[in-house]
Amino acid sequence: MPGTPMPRPTAPVSAGRYGHLFRPGYVHRDLYASPELFAAEMRHLFGNTWVYVGHESEIPQPNDFVMRTVGRRPVILCRKEDGGLSVLLNRCTHRGALVCRTPRGNARHFTCGYHAWTFLNDGRCTGVPLKHAYGSEYDRADQNLRSIAVDAYRGFIFASVSPHVPPLVEHLAGARDFLDQWLDRDGARPVLVQNGDMQFQTHANWKTVYDNAGDGYHPPFSHTSMLRVFADRYGDVDMQYYAKNFDESPLLSKDLGRGHTTLDQRPAMHAESAWRRQHVSPGREALEAALVDRYGAEEALRMLDASTGSGLNLNIFPNLLIIGNQIQMLEPVAVNRTVVRWFSTTLDGAPPEINATRLRLQEDFPSFGEVDDTAQFESCQHGLEDVPELEWVDIRRHMDTGAGRTDTDGYWREPISSDLHLRCYYGAWRRIMEEAAAR
Amino acid sequence: MSDARRTLVPPTRGYFDLDHYGTLAALVQEWRSLGEIPPERLPTAEDHASVCRFLHYEARLLDAARLPEWLALFTDDCVYWLPTDVDGADPRKVVSWEMNDRRRLEERVERLGTGRAYSQAPPTRTTHLYANIEVLTAGVTEVHALCTFLIQTHLAGRVSQRSGSNGFVLRRAGRSWQIVVKRVSLFDADLPQDNNSFTL
Repeated sequence: MPGTPMPRPTAPVSAGRYGHLFRPGYVHRDLYASPELFAAEMRHLFGNTWVYVGHESEIPQPNDFVMRTVGRRPVILCRKEDGGLSVLLNRCTHRGALVCRTPRGNARHFTCGYHAWTFLNDGRCTGVPLKHAYGSEYDRADQNLRSIAVDAYRGFIFASVSPHVPPLVEHLAGARDFLDQWLDRDGARPVLVQNGDMQFQTHANWKTVYDNAGDGYHPPFSHTSMLRVFADRYGDVDMQYYAKNFDESPLLSKDLGRGHTTLDQRPAMHAESAWRRQHVSPGREALEAALVDRYGAEEALRMLDASTGSGLNLNIFPNLLIIGNQIQMLEPVAVNRTVVRWFSTTLDGAPPEINATRLRLQEDFPSFGEVDDTAQFESCQHGLEDVPELEWVDIRRHMDTGAGRTDTDGYWREPISSDLHLRCYYGAWRRIMEEAAAR
Repeated sequence: MSDARRTLVPPTRGYFDLDHYGTLAALVQEWRSLGEIPPERLPTAEDHASVCRFLHYEARLLDAARLPEWLALFTDDCVYWLPTDVDGADPRKVVSWEMNDRRRLEERVERLGTGRAYSQAPPTRTTHLYANIEVLTAGVTEVHALCTFLIQTHLAGRVSQRSGSNGFVLRRAGRSWQIVVKRVSLFDADLPQDNNSFTL
């Protein structure tokens, strides 16, 4: 919430069911390595908060659907006949089988393949073969698919298994401001999520991905190979601003409340022209020339600047990470396995050269950077799982340096290399998990 | 500065315009709808044999991690492409795992050569098997070659396979060939992928 930064989560007490996992500035390895804790997270964390399940443009037409998960639970995200949204637990109320096995499609109803129980996409049970065998008291309405809470903010759809969650906008807290900023580039042309996705599987805990998305400390080191190739070819482009003492730069890590954080690189990346800072991508010259011919140099550059990476990592706890122009959705699979889905975005009504450029730019970091990050996640997982003698993970950066302060927009800010994001999301983790344990 | 340093001003390689993408999309549709190879597109026995020799050589360079030599097999107007879909989608509309022009392909090889590409430390070991090779003539100077592949990999204690089909456009170069297009279509490109940062 603007103007009311959360208390600095620097000194968690050891109270509660999970208190033993936290010390000031440290978290316990079990958070990454314990299968029991992972199961508890799936049940109580992902079961008691808003979880990102998709974008409205993925299901534009009545009866469109996609299969998703909410903390491993299979769900179907549906556009109902009346245009409204539903999220159904994809578990037949009879014996538990999936009623939908198709990743995406258009259907008004789902029929379980096992005994042909049939359900409308609002969950209503409409067919149970040989119903008489259940006796005369049987009410089909008792067999409806379980529908869970769903709400959307400007296209982003979230679902909650528990109905006892705050309204979505309250949950989003300050992340809402930054989502607005992300969406309002290029005259707020609507963002489309209809351009495929990359599914990276990493043999690591889902939180290692979250730790990295808010980590402004690693880029010049983890991404040396990428930065070096592009610097050698193109000079001072991209994230070369990390080459200096980047904690003295205008780059920031911010606490947006409720576990959400941002890494804001815009002051450096968009200082002049993001497109001019962007290293060369396939088709750059041809597509830029076509745009200049049609729209003039100034307008072409404006559109290109707005379609270059946003310069913003927006981390919405627990499973939505907006990086550049991409929407990343985390799907925890096991304590040491996670699928990271990178959904590409285009802009509705933008020239085809802009959208082709966006796609080429969105292939850039995944193949030159994400691959190295993924390798680090797996490397961390190995160390955390297999060295039981070392129990604690250090999350102290800028905890005690006094470098943090409230920014002009009202949010708490720390230098870019801070571990602020970890302290913030673990604060939310503890709150949600302890509340669930107390019920 | 790395040895890869050539120039700060990249040569203009602007062939990736919208028309070029259209050509690629049409090529994929042609391959997807191909029936039995029409008689008029059957290559000579000599061309068929030289294409097979060339593909086996290409695979051998990859397995030996001789990437600069592998790169030299590609033309200046080449495409190295790994789609994310299995439906033959248009690359103007759907993101790819890789959609490399010549310059990006060079950068890819340079990155792997920096010694700081942690996704390949240690490097993935591979054995590429190409099978079911079909060759079609495409005008005077080019042929298309379709094949299936199985890549056995080993990365840091984990053994796994990649599989799918390759589509090549090859251009005549003396008695051998150069690669104009290499499209690597993983049969599960739309599903979760492990570390594919080696060269497929």
